[in-house]
Amino acid sequence: MSLMINIVSGALILVGLTFFLAAAVGIVRFPDFYTRMHAAGKGDTLSTILILLGVALYTVGDFSIETLLVAIKIMAIAVFIMVTSPTSTHALMQAGYDDGIKPFEKEKEDKKDSEDQPEV
Amino acid sequence: MELFFTLAGVGLFALMLPILYRLIVGPTAIDRIVAVNIIGTKTAVSLVIVGVIFEQVGMFVDFALAYALLNFIGSLAAARYFHRVRQEREANTNNASTT
Amino acid sequence: MKPMKLAALLTVIVTGGLLLFATSDLPDWGDPLSPANASDLSTYYIQDSRDVTEVPNLVTAVLADYRGYDTMFETVVIFVAGLGILSILGQGKCEEPLAQPVASEQNRERDMITIITCRLVVPIIQIFALYVIAHGHYSPGGGFQGGVMLGSSFILIALTSGLPDALKRMSQERAIFLAGLGVLIYAGTGLVCMALGRNFLDYEILHKLMGGTGVKARYDSMLIVEIGVAFTVMAIMFIIYAVLSSKGRMRGGL
Repeated sequence: MSLMINIVSGALILVGLTFFLAAAVGIVRFPDFYTRMHAAGKGDTLSTILILLGVALYTVGDFSIETLLVAIKIMAIAVFIMVTSPTSTHALMQAGYDDGIKPFEKEKEDKKDSEDQPEV
Repeated sequence: MELFFTLAGVGLFALMLPILYRLIVGPTAIDRIVAVNIIGTKTAVSLVIVGVIFEQVGMFVDFALAYALLNFIGSLAAARYFHRVRQEREANTNNASTT
Repeated sequence: MKPMKLAALLTVIVTGGLLLFATSDLPDWGDPLSPANASDLSTYYIQDSRDVTEVPNLVTAVLADYRGYDTMFETVVIFVAGLGILSILGQGKCEEPLAQPVASEQNRERDMITIITCRLVVPIIQIFALYVIAHGHYSPGGGFQGGVMLGSSFILIALTSGLPDALKRMSQERAIFLAGLGVLIYAGTGLVCMALGRNFLDYEILHKLMGGTGVKARYDSMLIVEIGVAFTVMAIMFIIYAVLSSKGRMRGGL
């Protein structure tokens, strides 16, 4: 039983780290501010929730009232981050939009298309 | 299992480095604020993992919750401040152009 | 890259590397035999404070009981800092209209998501802050940390709904009153000890008022003192934010 809980919690943490890897890659590779925010908001929140879920499950592995309380606290952090992280992402996105950051467009390829079209 | 948690913490830290790159390079100020926000969220997570490694989760969970909370308030405040600085700059340039 | 910047970067890297290298010589985490714990005083705290005060968290016992003077004047320093910022930067009540209204109705509608989230989050923050204050005897926490969290919950209201809404809940007068009340609670506890014939902040004698034993009185009066600290820190945190963010006008804000 304890082994199974460990395996499940380890798997949850690994999946969470994978999502965080995706978020990190997105933040480095995406071309403009809005797409980076997309990677940041979603990947960051989901990976945080998964990792905390895994840790909470591991904590509750050797069951007692004390560990149950700690697990509930960890889940409280997860819920808190689930509510606040998208909100701060939204507020930052709004600030960036008001600042007049232009969304990324494939300028060169669009021009090529428009030049090509008359011939076709 | 403790080794696993140590490795998970190291992995978490290693994955913060690309975000640190965005913090240093980031073309706009908002990009940097976003990077700080993400690193802050992940710091709360790594605090919990450190707690598991030290076998003191009950103690570190409180730190993590407080950290997540102050991180949220911090990034909101940064967004608001950025917005206001922008507004004031625009107001100043408008005044300068009209007079 | 300019040579000066390169030199600065090198200096930072070398210093950071040296500091990291030095961490290997630090004593283990929570090691009771580390050099800092070897003196007679530290040995006394580690061995006897649990029996004398019943507080499991050594830091709280040292902070609020053995070094009560220190903590009291820290609280006074925070109080004076807040009053200083208010008297230098604050312009009293400024009735003239702002050149440019910042928190307009249009802004409110646009910020609906953040406002509703903060309505959800603020009570959670405040309950957690009360937990941190009350739980300081058992885990890291206490008046300063809980006070900062309580203050930050008011700052959160000011950030989302605008400074006027936050000032409705915690006006300038009320904040100064609470800050003073915190210092008064702390110093008053000490004065009551003096009135009962002991030294200033010697809590043991308070068992005559509170009942129970002397040890229990020390335990309880630490909580009273922490509550006083929390009042002061909360009010001053909010005052500093309100004054700095509105450039002393107490209107507009971020």
